[in-house]
Amino acid sequence: MTFSTSTTMATDSVPPSASNSSDYYFEPDDPAFLETLQNTVLPGDLPVDATKALQQAQPLKRSYRESEDDRGDVYGAAHFGDFGEYMRRKRAKLQLQNAGIAGDETLEQAPQIFKGISIYINGYTTPSVQDLRQLIIRHGGVFQPYLDRKELVTHIITCSLTPAKVQEFKNMKVVRPEWLVESAKQGVLLPWRNFIFRHNERSEPSQGVRPLQKSLLATFSSSSQQQQQQQPNASSSTQKRKPPRPVIPIVKPKPAPDPLSNPLYTTDPKSSKEAQHVPYYAAHESNPNAQRAMENPAWRSAHTSIAADFIEGYYKNSRLHHLSTWKAELKSLLQEAQERAENGVVDILDSDVDGNGDGEATAGVDKVSAESEDLSDAGASGVSMRGAEFVLRSPTKGKDKGKGKAGPPGEDRVIMHCDFDCFFVSAGLVKRPQYKGKPIVVCHSQGAQGGTSSTSEVASASYEARGFGIKNGMSLQQARKLCPDIITIPYEFELYKQFSLKFYTILMKHADELQAVSVDEALIDVTSTVKRLRSKATPDTLASPGFDPAKELAEAIRAQVRRATGCEVSIGVAHNILLSRLATRRAKPAGSYHLVPDEVDEFLAPLDIKDLHGFGRSAKQKALEKLGVTMLGELKEKSKGVLCDALGKSMGETLYNAVRGVDEKKLESDKKRKSVSCDINYGIRFENNEQVETFIHQMANEVTRRMEEIKVLGRSITLKIMKRDPTAPVEPPKFLGHGACDVFNKQMGLFGPHGRATSDSKVIGDHAWRMLKAYNFNPKELRGIGIQIQKLEPASGAPTEPGQGRLSFQKVERTKPSEDAVKARREAISKALEEARAAEAQTPIVKEPLRSRSTSVQPPAFGLPSFSQVDKSVFNALPDDIRSELEIEYKRRSASPFPVPERASTTPATDAKPKPKPSPLTRNNALFPFPKKIFIKGTNRPNVKRITQQLAPQRAPAYSPNKKNLFMKRPGLAAWKVPETELRKLNIDPEVFAMLPKNIQREQITAARLLKTMGTIPEKSEHRVVLKPRKVDHGEVFRQPPPKARHVLPPSLKQQSSGGQKLYFTETDDIQNIIEQWVTRFKNHPPNGKDIDFFAKWLVKSVDREVATDEGLVRAIAVMKWWLMMVKRYFGQHEYGRLHDDEPSREEKVGEAWWAAFRNVKEQMDAVAKKRFGGKLSLR
Amino acid sequence: MSNNPLTFNQTVRGIAEFIEVAIHTILYVRQIYPAEIFVRRKKYDTPVFQSRHPALNEYISGAVKAITDELILGNVDKVVVVIKDKGDVALERFIFSVETMIQVENFNKDTSQISVENAMTPLSLGQYFRSFLVKLCMVEAQLGQMYLGEDVSFAIVIELKDDKPPTGSNPKEPPPWVPAEGQHTTSGAGDDAELHVIRAVNTGIINLSLVVQESEEKLHREREK
Repeated sequence: MTFSTSTTMATDSVPPSASNSSDYYFEPDDPAFLETLQNTVLPGDLPVDATKALQQAQPLKRSYRESEDDRGDVYGAAHFGDFGEYMRRKRAKLQLQNAGIAGDETLEQAPQIFKGISIYINGYTTPSVQDLRQLIIRHGGVFQPYLDRKELVTHIITCSLTPAKVQEFKNMKVVRPEWLVESAKQGVLLPWRNFIFRHNERSEPSQGVRPLQKSLLATFSSSSQQQQQQQPNASSSTQKRKPPRPVIPIVKPKPAPDPLSNPLYTTDPKSSKEAQHVPYYAAHESNPNAQRAMENPAWRSAHTSIAADFIEGYYKNSRLHHLSTWKAELKSLLQEAQERAENGVVDILDSDVDGNGDGEATAGVDKVSAESEDLSDAGASGVSMRGAEFVLRSPTKGKDKGKGKAGPPGEDRVIMHCDFDCFFVSAGLVKRPQYKGKPIVVCHSQGAQGGTSSTSEVASASYEARGFGIKNGMSLQQARKLCPDIITIPYEFELYKQFSLKFYTILMKHADELQAVSVDEALIDVTSTVKRLRSKATPDTLASPGFDPAKELAEAIRAQVRRATGCEVSIGVAHNILLSRLATRRAKPAGSYHLVPDEVDEFLAPLDIKDLHGFGRSAKQKALEKLGVTMLGELKEKSKGVLCDALGKSMGETLYNAVRGVDEKKLESDKKRKSVSCDINYGIRFENNEQVETFIHQMANEVTRRMEEIKVLGRSITLKIMKRDPTAPVEPPKFLGHGACDVFNKQMGLFGPHGRATSDSKVIGDHAWRMLKAYNFNPKELRGIGIQIQKLEPASGAPTEPGQGRLSFQKVERTKPSEDAVKARREAISKALEEARAAEAQTPIVKEPLRSRSTSVQPPAFGLPSFSQVDKSVFNALPDDIRSELEIEYKRRSASPFPVPERASTTPATDAKPKPKPSPLTRNNALFPFPKKIFIKGTNRPNVKRITQQLAPQRAPAYSPNKKNLFMKRPGLAAWKVPETELRKLNIDPEVFAMLPKNIQREQITAARLLKTMGTIPEKSEHRVVLKPRKVDHGEVFRQPPPKARHVLPPSLKQQSSGGQKLYFTETDDIQNIIEQWVTRFKNHPPNGKDIDFFAKWLVKSVDREVATDEGLVRAIAVMKWWLMMVKRYFGQHEYGRLHDDEPSREEKVGEAWWAAFRNVKEQMDAVAKKRFGGKLSLR
Repeated sequence: MSNNPLTFNQTVRGIAEFIEVAIHTILYVRQIYPAEIFVRRKKYDTPVFQSRHPALNEYISGAVKAITDELILGNVDKVVVVIKDKGDVALERFIFSVETMIQVENFNKDTSQISVENAMTPLSLGQYFRSFLVKLCMVEAQLGQMYLGEDVSFAIVIELKDDKPPTGSNPKEPPPWVPAEGQHTTSGAGDDAELHVIRAVNTGIINLSLVVQESEEKLHREREK
């Protein structure tokens, strides 16, 4: 190839280590290109010596130009059909043109910072290609107009790439134009990595321009590089964005139109029921932009959940995600502050606001602002709040918590609810004072982009905007309808974070206890501060009617926050949480309000149920439907029972208390985290299950990351699936939103290895995927996926290792040979080797050389030749310690793991080989302690079985190794054998038979056997029977088979008849006959025991309903009656025993025996009958 | 129709009907009520006596209805007619022992078309019932005459399988059953109670037998006389 010469030159002149930085871009796509890339040092990589860079870059350029120049006919006429010539010339001309620019004397000579860089510009860029080209050339770079040979290009400059190009350029250095611009401006070549083009930083005409706000993860991922950066401003300058076109609004608040009586503002209603309440949120039932976009597979793969970096991007831009993360972070900061307070390491800040004047408060504020500046410096790099810390003012908190009770109960408590006034807007306005007093909303979509159909959600609206009826949660399109001149400002998460931290820092100073409600909202308990203020107050101020220390404190806090952030905070003060929240409503905007207990009733009465925290639209609906009223004053008249009936027990009780201004809730300052989750319901559009699985695993990674952040493990996993409601359009009104959905939840235990709690992403992903698979949803229908991990437990404090226990081997002190010993040994070895070589040279027979190097240098367990191969002479020449070591090792090997018959192991195969002598060292040498110390008591054989059992994999069923047949091969066709005798019987010659292949053998033997048993081989039937599924006639109703009656066979009396046949008697008459014959035959003899048992068995069986049903009982009674009659007939006089004490006569004995037999059987029957009916049987 | 085997519901209805007839007969035979209130009728091709007292009839038919509900569910083990004296002491217990032999789906229970294979025909079941009644009329031969005058009364008790509560009635109404007195039940029967078997029939669907148990107390009293 043509370029090989120039690159090899470069390779020689450059140290190989210099190319390390580009390693990570390699993929085995184009070996030649990769080689070039690897061997080329680029100025953008590392600050390499400029001359070196020049040297190695020069050939690239020169060789190229020379080859063209040599032809000398660049400007000549092109030949017909020679397109290659045309292109070559065009390229050459362009290079000449470039040279012209570079050589232009009119332009000032710029520093040649781009020397050695060859740049291709892709697509539309800002600044334009022409400008960039000039810039490059003036600074000594090479501008490549075509990318037909990638190896010529070192960097690609672009502002946007198609997904296909993303793929194409994945191994190249793709950089944003800012790199060139900034470098040129600073006169230094900046590291290109800080300007890597990230694919998803794109503009989407249908969604408006994404604000270039640097987001959470991006700053994290690039922070490491930023540290190396000399000028930190360089990258941040890219964040500058043009302020949205100022539009002068007509500030003429129209009456807010109320499209529905009970409107709900959200951009993506989850159920169609909810959707009914959303007033013309979007212009279309189904988003036409989304439909159009989804038709483009490339777009799809880049911007929906299929995209590889989707989750990252999703969280970068999700406002809700930031808010929830911050809340969690704030909470953990609070918790840390409390822990520190409890541990007594608090340096109590000077927090005296309890003067009368503003002066001290100001001092406090100064302090706060100074601190918060520190904070903002420290935490400036990211949007996360990590790294900041709060200091809790009062360490008494810990003690209170120990008692489970915080602050005095009842009306003595002072709770403040502090809430920023439209936080996002006012934070945004700090930097844009020109918009103050105008209708402003904060949302993703900016300027006039997205037109009238933008579905971007309004996150916060200024009071002026609210005057138009704009509410949070509306879409931008709706807001525009209400106020066409609305001004949109972007999110500034970093600013919010800083403000929030300042806000909390101030609150911390005054609060006994603090509950973080959200970024811009907190509840604080200031009871003790207020008490102190009150105690310090002079008697006459106390007496004055307007004196209210709580309100003063609130105003002080407001002033501090205003000073620190420039934003207004409203504070509601009351004696419980519920009322303080309500008081804030009155306080807004920019005020404070103290709701004193006496005014509560009056205050509450005109409020609506919806105004209460925790009661929403559905509660109002219910109250309206079932109670007919929604005003708190009216609700107060309802009894608790009525409220409970209407709203459910707990809601009813809460409401009953709430309308009376009672709220028992405590501030939750240290609520433990119960779950970690990751929910994504935006942009979920899959095509097949593989994509879903990949995505789930990516989500699992995210969950794992979060779990690791707070250091927990989980035991339970819940999967939440949103599936498109069958009636909803495929593309919902919100762009890539979820639309109306059916929601499914599934929970299961989460088991890491050994059934432990886990945070492993693989395990979580597998569990989630398994659950999702169980639903068997069409992947195209999925609209939202959430993974939540519950039953958290701390990851630290190494849990006791469950599962396999450890054998307590005796610890071996491995004796380290001293330095001298090692040296001595080395010498000995080399000496031995020399001797061995000499010996080898002498011996005529070529013996297999001992691989002495491996034996002596490597640990003996590896690469040791088998003992029979060891050259005796060499072996003997080894120093004693090494020899004994080898001996032991050989011994050990022969002993395990495959026990060889003893003789074989001890007797070498050839006499020439030495017999390893049992050296005294074997016993005591501690290097191989294996067979020691694993003896069962009493025996001195190692308990190998137990050990192997323990070593067996735990989960697998423990097959004991002696169950050989489990692993034995099942006899297959190959093992199939017919005994010779049978073959002879079948008239088959065994020898010939043995020669046949197995399948023919089978055929033959089967035929022969059939011939023998049936006489003929059955003919194959002429017509083939085609098996067909039974046709189901759908007109005919399929009937189940009718139920079958169950008849119990009566127990039978078996008797051997004279003819050798067995007779079975079940009928009453027959059995009566048999009994009669029996008694008659034995009337002069006592009954035979066997006979009694014979009848007794039948009779007892018959009485048992389970065996013989009640008919059996009837039969048994009849038979017994007959037997009784017979006994009475023959032995009637003996029924009641003897009347005399003499020796009983034979007749008497016989009679008594019969009666005894009869009574015995009767008793047995009674016992059975008693179970069923109680009492006994009567034979009357 | 009579040549087809019984269906499940036919069997239940047949048995319930028989129990009702038998209760009347028992009341007559054991002279619980004066003979005048009974009228002679023909049932199962045999003369039977039926009470004419509307309140009594209503009580009996109501009880039988409730029994039927339980029979359909297959929960019944025994239906017992307890003859008791004025101190509520059981003297005689006429036990209709029931054994449900097969499980039939509800839809099969209801459709009268579906006969149970191999079961008894309705005709022969009627004949069996006649034989029951004939034997019942002659039970006096075994039990002796009741000379208790007007002190005697009776109760209808059901005993269910496995201590199940009665469930068969209309779920909206309270169950028509109250817990029975211990001495009236099988578990309360003394060891010396005596059991007389009257008749049994195996229909193959629900097997029925009728037995009479004389209680310990009755036997004791008779011995004392």
